[in-house]
Amino acid sequence: MDTQHGTGRRAVLAGGTALALAGMSREAQAARTRFVTANNNPYDILDPHQVFDIGRLAIRLNMYDALTHWVDNPPKLQFWLVNAPTISDDGKTYTFKLKPGIKFHDGSPLTAADVVYSMERILALKKGAYGLFKDSVSPGSTKALDPQTVQFTLDQPYAVFTAILSELWVVNTKVVKSHEKDGDWGAAWLSGHEAGSGSYRLRRFDPAIGFQAERFAEHFEGWANNPRPVDEADFRVAIETATRVLGVIKGEFNTTDGFLPAEQLQRMRQSGTVKFVEAESLRTFYFIINNAKAPLDDLNMRKALCYAFDYDGFIDNILGGTVVRNAGIIPNPMWGAPKNMKGYTYDLDRAKHHLSEVKGVRPLQIGALAGYPQSEQASQMLQAGCGKIGLDVRIVTEPYTTIAPKLNDADRAHDLIPLWRSAYFADPHNWTGYMFNSSNIGAGNSSFYKNPKVDELTDKALLLTDQEQRRPLYEEVSHLLVEDAAGLFINNTKYFGPFTKNVKHVRFCPIGDAQDIRWIEMEA
Amino acid sequence: MARRLVWVPPTLFGLLLLVFTVSHIIPADPARVIAGENAPAEQVEALRQRFGLDRPLPEQFLRYAMDVATGSLGVSLYTQRPVLDDLLARLPATFELALYAILISILAGVPLGVVAALRRNGWIDQVIRVVTVTGLAIAAFWLAILLQLLFSMKLDLLPVQGRSAGWGPEPITGFYTIDALLRGDFETLGDSLRYLALPTLTLAIPATATIVRFTRAGVLNVMSSNAVFYQAAMGIPRTVVIWKYILRSALIGTLTQIGLVFGNLLAGAVVVETVFAWPGLGLFAYNSILQSDYNAIMGFTLFTGAVFIGVNLLVDIAQSLLDPRDR
Amino acid sequence: MKTLRRILRDRALVAGLVIISLLVLAAVFAGTLATFPGDVTGFDPGARLEPPGPVYYLGTDRMGADLYSRLLFGARLTIMVAVLATAVAVLIGVPMGLVAGYHRGWFSDLLMRVSDVFLAIPQIVLAIAIAQTLGPAIQNVILALSATYWPFWARLVYAETRSQRNETYVEAAVAMGASPFRVMVLHILPNIASSIIVRTTIGMGGTILAAAALGFLGLGAPPPAPEWGRMIAESREYLPQAWWYATAPGIAILLVVIGFNLLGDGLRDVLDPRIRRGADGN
Repeated sequence: MDTQHGTGRRAVLAGGTALALAGMSREAQAARTRFVTANNNPYDILDPHQVFDIGRLAIRLNMYDALTHWVDNPPKLQFWLVNAPTISDDGKTYTFKLKPGIKFHDGSPLTAADVVYSMERILALKKGAYGLFKDSVSPGSTKALDPQTVQFTLDQPYAVFTAILSELWVVNTKVVKSHEKDGDWGAAWLSGHEAGSGSYRLRRFDPAIGFQAERFAEHFEGWANNPRPVDEADFRVAIETATRVLGVIKGEFNTTDGFLPAEQLQRMRQSGTVKFVEAESLRTFYFIINNAKAPLDDLNMRKALCYAFDYDGFIDNILGGTVVRNAGIIPNPMWGAPKNMKGYTYDLDRAKHHLSEVKGVRPLQIGALAGYPQSEQASQMLQAGCGKIGLDVRIVTEPYTTIAPKLNDADRAHDLIPLWRSAYFADPHNWTGYMFNSSNIGAGNSSFYKNPKVDELTDKALLLTDQEQRRPLYEEVSHLLVEDAAGLFINNTKYFGPFTKNVKHVRFCPIGDAQDIRWIEMEA
Repeated sequence: MARRLVWVPPTLFGLLLLVFTVSHIIPADPARVIAGENAPAEQVEALRQRFGLDRPLPEQFLRYAMDVATGSLGVSLYTQRPVLDDLLARLPATFELALYAILISILAGVPLGVVAALRRNGWIDQVIRVVTVTGLAIAAFWLAILLQLLFSMKLDLLPVQGRSAGWGPEPITGFYTIDALLRGDFETLGDSLRYLALPTLTLAIPATATIVRFTRAGVLNVMSSNAVFYQAAMGIPRTVVIWKYILRSALIGTLTQIGLVFGNLLAGAVVVETVFAWPGLGLFAYNSILQSDYNAIMGFTLFTGAVFIGVNLLVDIAQSLLDPRDR
Repeated sequence: MKTLRRILRDRALVAGLVIISLLVLAAVFAGTLATFPGDVTGFDPGARLEPPGPVYYLGTDRMGADLYSRLLFGARLTIMVAVLATAVAVLIGVPMGLVAGYHRGWFSDLLMRVSDVFLAIPQIVLAIAIAQTLGPAIQNVILALSATYWPFWARLVYAETRSQRNETYVEAAVAMGASPFRVMVLHILPNIASSIIVRTTIGMGGTILAAAALGFLGLGAPPPAPEWGRMIAESREYLPQAWWYATAPGIAILLVVIGFNLLGDGLRDVLDPRIRRGADGN
């Protein structure tokens, strides 16, 4: 089976890439390193502006560059394509200078006009990360002052603006424009092609298989900080857990997702061929509670639910201790998460007591995510707990595509939905204002939660730029949400990234996990 | 035959209507799905307009029917790529699977069926019967998992899923095995065959059982017919009778079943491709259904329906050419 | 030779009957037979993925529920789905086939073309599409299956009715002034009932397989319903270690489908001499 790795590689080399390698010596070819990631989600759309999820983040992280970039754990924001901005006194105008010598993969220079085009493209397509920008950036407000200078004029001050610029992936204007059809901003073409400047350049793409990219030697950041970089990065789709696990054990894959069941982690450990990068990530798991729907609009009802969930049974037994208790919504390692917060415990007496105070109790419905075992298991756990206090709970499993439209419609929404909240940008706002400010009902606030105090605090925090001033505000919000039982907060996820032993260095960052291939060092 | 041909277009239109109806009573909102979990309402609305999802249903249907009439299956709501392109790109994977499965089931099923009939009620017939009864009753997805469990996970002989360790050979026909052979790349050929083994076997087992049953019944039928009886009475050696008459009619009988078997294979492919992550039409259909991608679902169904109708027509034609009684 | 054949044929029938009876018994007495009757909805998180042994005969699942007990309760679900889905399909298909076969003209042509349309798509694809459209619930599985399978009965009854249409007894009844409805229900239907019964018995096996496939794909009854197909899907995350998790429900499905198929074959031999002549005991 070990030869299989080689077979696949030779098969590739025999094909379209022979040309690219023709000029290399034998030794150079032998020294080329290939890193294969097995992903549990299909890479079906390559367009960085159409997609905004974790499953396909590798496309954006590796083939495109954004203005800012996250590294390390806890995440630090680096200025990437640009240097630190000058910000006007009213906090509305941001002026950035591009770093010198940035090139797209076709060799043409990346200029301020490309940044403007990319911003306008996001605002026009209204897909992907559009929701991040729509409240602060208006179409036409971004200007290229000169080829190296870009200026954003915001509608209002926005504390997380530089943070969300990590999702402003810059595309090659000239290339995309040449493939525009019927004013689609090149959406159809870019869905299956690439026009970026990132550390890796697309070589092959098959939506059913995945994509392959090669190292872009002329990347502006250079490669001096990585003595043993990955030359060829393969991202393959392998939906079934057993395939990914077996593949890593055998060395066919160099890594896969770091959120596997405890039994599979143990299997990989026992194999002796896999090593792990372990870190507490920024991905909280919780039940969305529909706060707008009776009887869930009653605090006693919500508290009864929070006391009826067996947190230890779920975390220690069902998930085998692969996650950690997170009493609030903000992940423990994130600043803004209160230290030593006392959350709810599994306490059926209290649950019963609160339930007895509720008028108009009715059977509740959980909408679990089909195909996500943990989501179904948490639902069964809550159902069993509620059964013990005489509360009838039904589970409906639906694919995410069916649940998603209901998230923002109070009448159609399920009573409870178990869901993860990942880090799209590392700022407490991602877990608080975005999810619980009442102005976001219909777009992010899927709990339909309304609390003037929470609104006030989260609004205020967005206008401040100093992290130390913002921290206490978020800590207070976090406490308020627990007191209000605005959601049933369960755990934060731990990352157990399995890697083959020839991978020497991994730079883990909760945003994108370890999929940022430019930091990976490996032996040939 | 002409009568059957005349009915093809209305059947296809009916198919179109049926599929459109089924896929459009969906409570899911594809625009919302495409936009993503936390997209603002205006973003969803913009998508709805772009794809014409805000138009009345009859209008959407007419638009779609007109597109189909001009040879377009529309654009996937999800990937924005033309549905027909995706279907054609995935067709070889499924056909390669189906082709090997049919080959295996004929090569195994016809001899087994003939032997079972010739040794009717002997121990070999009993064994074959038990095996076919089991083969027809086994859930394809379970069989697939058992094979994975045994051959991939325990014995470590064959890959768990996928179509190739690499990217497959440079396409000529799109069939990995044929392309590898044409390019003289035996390593890739071996690789492809190893990936083909389990999904092909999963599909072939029920198909073989079907063919065994029909062949056995066909042979018994011929053996009890007057012609065979007469020839045996005339003193023509039994082997000659068997080879000349019985096998021929048994093969014709089997041919009539190919259409049925092929249909079953296409149906089986949806489940089998899902389990083996085989990048063919079945997996495409399953994913499209989960993504509420109307255009892709309708495209797949029409496409499969057309292929299925076409294959059955071909079988009818072949049968009438081979079987003198039908002329 | 003939007696031997007879016995063999009966053996299939008997085996089928035994299996189906066991299934029914398991379903009826699930509460008594189960060692952990509470595990239909309950579980013990401390006893997850236990291999088969004296306490958990067939091992436990990902929540720590006893698989043996859940399989027994799953028999109820299986029978309910198979019986209801088949019944609805029969209730749609048989009248359509009768009417289309008895009358000739555009209406019968249309009915048959409609069934053609349904038969032109792989059944499971249509069932998946309908089940996904309606949402995962047991009643939707039943609906999806009956909406997909009725054409089989329509086709069968259509063909049988046409062949009966010119029989002397039908012509006699018509000559006596019987209404078409009367002829169809009182004269033709009893004569083709045996084919319908045979087809229905075998159809039950097919329905169970299709329902299990829907459950496997996540479109069946939601958890914690002890649905056999869903159990197999759940097990995949824990393979190869938890081999029992995938094996036990699969064997249950296999046995039950074999049971219905054998019963159908046996019934055909007993009830339908015309078929017996042609396709001897296959």
